[in-house]
Amino acid sequence: MDFVILSLVMLAIGVYGLLTKRHLLKVFVSVELIATAATLNFVMLAASTGIGVGEAFLVLAFSTDTAVSAVILALLVVVHKKYGVSDISELVKINEPKEEEGEVKA
Amino acid sequence: MILEVLSAGLVITACLAIFLDEAIYSVVALAGTFIFTALLYWESNAPLVAVFQFAVGAGTLAILFLSGEMLSEKPLKKTRMQNLLIVVVAGALLSLLPIFLSISRPEASVASVSFGEALWDLRAGDVVLQGLVIMTVAMGVAIVLYEKRNGGK
Repeated sequence: MDFVILSLVMLAIGVYGLLTKRHLLKVFVSVELIATAATLNFVMLAASTGIGVGEAFLVLAFSTDTAVSAVILALLVVVHKKYGVSDISELVKINEPKEEEGEVKA
Repeated sequence: MILEVLSAGLVITACLAIFLDEAIYSVVALAGTFIFTALLYWESNAPLVAVFQFAVGAGTLAILFLSGEMLSEKPLKKTRMQNLLIVVVAGALLSLLPIFLSISRPEASVASVSFGEALWDLRAGDVVLQGLVIMTVAMGVAIVLYEKRNGGK
């Protein structure tokens, strides 16, 4: 049983979700999976070698992860309230300049 | 054996969290991921981290359930049982990788230190800085609440 490979698999699943999924909540779930992969590495290294540094670093990793989650969730709620969409591709369309406006200016 | 089962559960629930169509089911699968992660930590002689994981996971999931209900619309097509089975099988196959493969890595050269020593002796600066950040955030919240009470004047 190799926990480095387990964490690599988790990282791969997270990155795949981040690249392919368009729903904002799915993107958030992918970020959580990537963070879990990182913390898994710390813990398993600490547990297998008996070094407390890994667990100590984990406290920082957890607090950073929680802060990132809070910021992402706040952004999701704000975006959904302002634009009423929860799809990244639709959000991109909102920010694109309309073709008609471009033609008028030209 | 139990570690293998837990890691298989972890990978399968992670796959389900990504591939399930409805956001709420995805959050439920993420809850499974957090639970399997915490159990894995517990079984690997890291009970403190397991408790941390449970606490952080519970908070995250509570907020995710609330926001997930708000952010997601009902999907037009329902997830077919066949697709679900394919995802579970793919997750099970992926979980075989950590069970049967291994990476050789150098032995740890750092002397064994306890968690308390590592946190306070080696990383005291970080802990103090984190305390400062938390204090700044608390002061910011207090100022915002004070301004709100005074009507923004």
